[in-house]
Amino acid sequence: METATTSGLDVRRLGRVPYAEALALQEDLRARLAAGELGDTVLLLEHPDVITFGRGAKPGSALADDDALRRGGYEVFRIGRGGDVTWHGPGQLVGYPILDLRRHGSDVHRYLRALEGVLIGALEHFGIAATRRAGYAGVWLDERRKIASIGVGIRAWRTVHGFALNVDCDLARFGAIVPCGLADVEMVSVASVLGAPVDRARIEAQVEHELRKAFG
Amino acid sequence: MPKQIRMPKLSDTMEEGRLIAWRKKVGDTVKRGEVLAEIETDKADMEFEAYTEGTVAQIVVEAGATVPVGTLIAVLRLPGEAEDAVAAVPAAEAQPQTPARVPAAPAGQAPATAPAKPVAPRAARTAAPAPTPARVELPAPPAGERVAALYAPDDDRIRATPRARRLAEERSIDLSELTGTGPHGAILVADLEAYLATLEGQTPDGDGVRATPLALRMASEQGTDLEAVKGSGPGGRITKSDLLAHWKREKAHSKEREAVMYRSTLQLSQKRKALIRNMVRSKAEAPHFYIQMDVATEALRDLRDQLNRDAGEKRPRLTYTHLMLKAAALALERHPHVNATYRAEENDIALYDAINIGLAVDVQDELVAPTVKDCQGHTVWQLAEEANSLIQRARMRKLQPADYADGTFTISNLGMFGVDRFYAIITPPQSSILSVSKIAERPVVRGGKLEIGQITTLGLSVDHRVIDGVRAAQFLGEIKRLLEEPRELAHDGNGHD
Repeated sequence: METATTSGLDVRRLGRVPYAEALALQEDLRARLAAGELGDTVLLLEHPDVITFGRGAKPGSALADDDALRRGGYEVFRIGRGGDVTWHGPGQLVGYPILDLRRHGSDVHRYLRALEGVLIGALEHFGIAATRRAGYAGVWLDERRKIASIGVGIRAWRTVHGFALNVDCDLARFGAIVPCGLADVEMVSVASVLGAPVDRARIEAQVEHELRKAFG
Repeated sequence: MPKQIRMPKLSDTMEEGRLIAWRKKVGDTVKRGEVLAEIETDKADMEFEAYTEGTVAQIVVEAGATVPVGTLIAVLRLPGEAEDAVAAVPAAEAQPQTPARVPAAPAGQAPATAPAKPVAPRAARTAAPAPTPARVELPAPPAGERVAALYAPDDDRIRATPRARRLAEERSIDLSELTGTGPHGAILVADLEAYLATLEGQTPDGDGVRATPLALRMASEQGTDLEAVKGSGPGGRITKSDLLAHWKREKAHSKEREAVMYRSTLQLSQKRKALIRNMVRSKAEAPHFYIQMDVATEALRDLRDQLNRDAGEKRPRLTYTHLMLKAAALALERHPHVNATYRAEENDIALYDAINIGLAVDVQDELVAPTVKDCQGHTVWQLAEEANSLIQRARMRKLQPADYADGTFTISNLGMFGVDRFYAIITPPQSSILSVSKIAERPVVRGGKLEIGQITTLGLSVDHRVIDGVRAAQFLGEIKRLLEEPRELAHDGNGHD
């Protein structure tokens, strides 16, 4: 019979982790992935209030300067991922897959589409019909309403950063930024769409299941 | 030779990329694997590494710009190369080069150019707008002709003197058909004149001359119908470039046509890849034949119910699958020539010592077949326990490679999915597989009377290299008998007959 390879995906649920700490952990995992000490890993977590600017951030994406943002209770980071500016905070499910894309087709767009597929699949499970929007990475309900953001960084086909799904976060916290540089975008969350409280653990479990399907 | 760095294609669907930032500036040295620049496509930010060691000689595309895949973005001078080795890059060179492969061109050289050493066939130059190229003066220009910027290792640009270039344009000559005899293989006016002389010597067919000699040969080698190709060469001849462009268009069209047929594509897991290899190998190498038998299952049902009633809590609940497993194990024990394999290298048939029966299980869209090892001499309850444990581990994706290994026979059951009858493909190197279908009420004739019976149809796929029709029939008949008169399935291991 055929030889089997067991699912190599290590999914770690970490709870709340400060942004800088998560960043360092990702780099450490990526280095160990590169050294062959570890396989593919995914971190599932949430951050305290933080605003991050990707390399693609355009001036004017944040509606206040860094100092003003800090006074408003946000941490501020400028980081090496694609995409513009985004907010992370409590009530958001953040996923950081540290993968070797050479095991998953060595194709950057395919990877982004796969991440979107993971979230679309998980949301479907909770009765939310989410979709992709051509030319705008992320997960959308329609042309205007966005429920999850995506932005990844790749070195030698190994990934960091990933996705942020709004579960039941305070959507007003997005008010300080123009999410992903797109005006006219309304951020929504699972809770705001369903109009009911949601069980974060169940969503996390479903996302984990979809991740294993996509990258296991 | 300096190294040209181009916008990489990081995805099948990537058409352009944004140069977010340069990590190196002109004059910096880079090592292999060091990050040269950051490139963004979609919402991914890729650190772009140098594949060769060198010094950044020129940055062609500035940070912030978005350019098509294949566009020249920088030039690296390799170690040991003089600074002046790097010519300013002609604007035309900065145009994207399509990485698409063109069909292999004939290895020969253009017929007109007798003496020159052969040069590698050059890819087609598309009719890119050609702003005046920047030039580099060579120390020794040939008689009356200057040689335009020449250097660059993966350069598929054609070297020619400006005069030759002008003349070629006037006479619609495809320079890629010529081999230059000038310095660095540059095409000279003399090369063009020799080439034109060959064209004049061409014998026209009925419709006149349709293509250059090189294009004619390439088209006939590739079986291309020249009717479909437009000529842009001398006298409307189809040239090599015309052909290459035609092939490229054809290929792009067929790719596009293909792409719209798919909603999405799936990546293959290692298991899936192994399955594809095995199934193709099986159908290609093992000559399959198929037999089937209907089996009455009333007695089997009664036995199952009775055993489960009597067993109470201490024994596993028996299912049809467990009883089939036991029946197959007994039948294999009695027909050892079925529990065998054909060995191509030795050109013999090897009879297995152990009876290891694989159970095909579908786990979240993935087919696995863990094997119950050493079935001989085990009671149905022992087999049931082992099978349950394997299936449970399969469902939890906890199977180890050893759990799949060394199968000598396989049972595939699609009964629970309502399948009436089917034939599975043999798992190499095994020589047969049992296909179990659903148990249903069907009209049966018994002793001249029409009755309603509980029936299932068993299918057996057989490798004819190992097992002939009669032996296959005896083996399947044994299974049928064991299922229809199932008492001995419940015997203890020690007392089996």
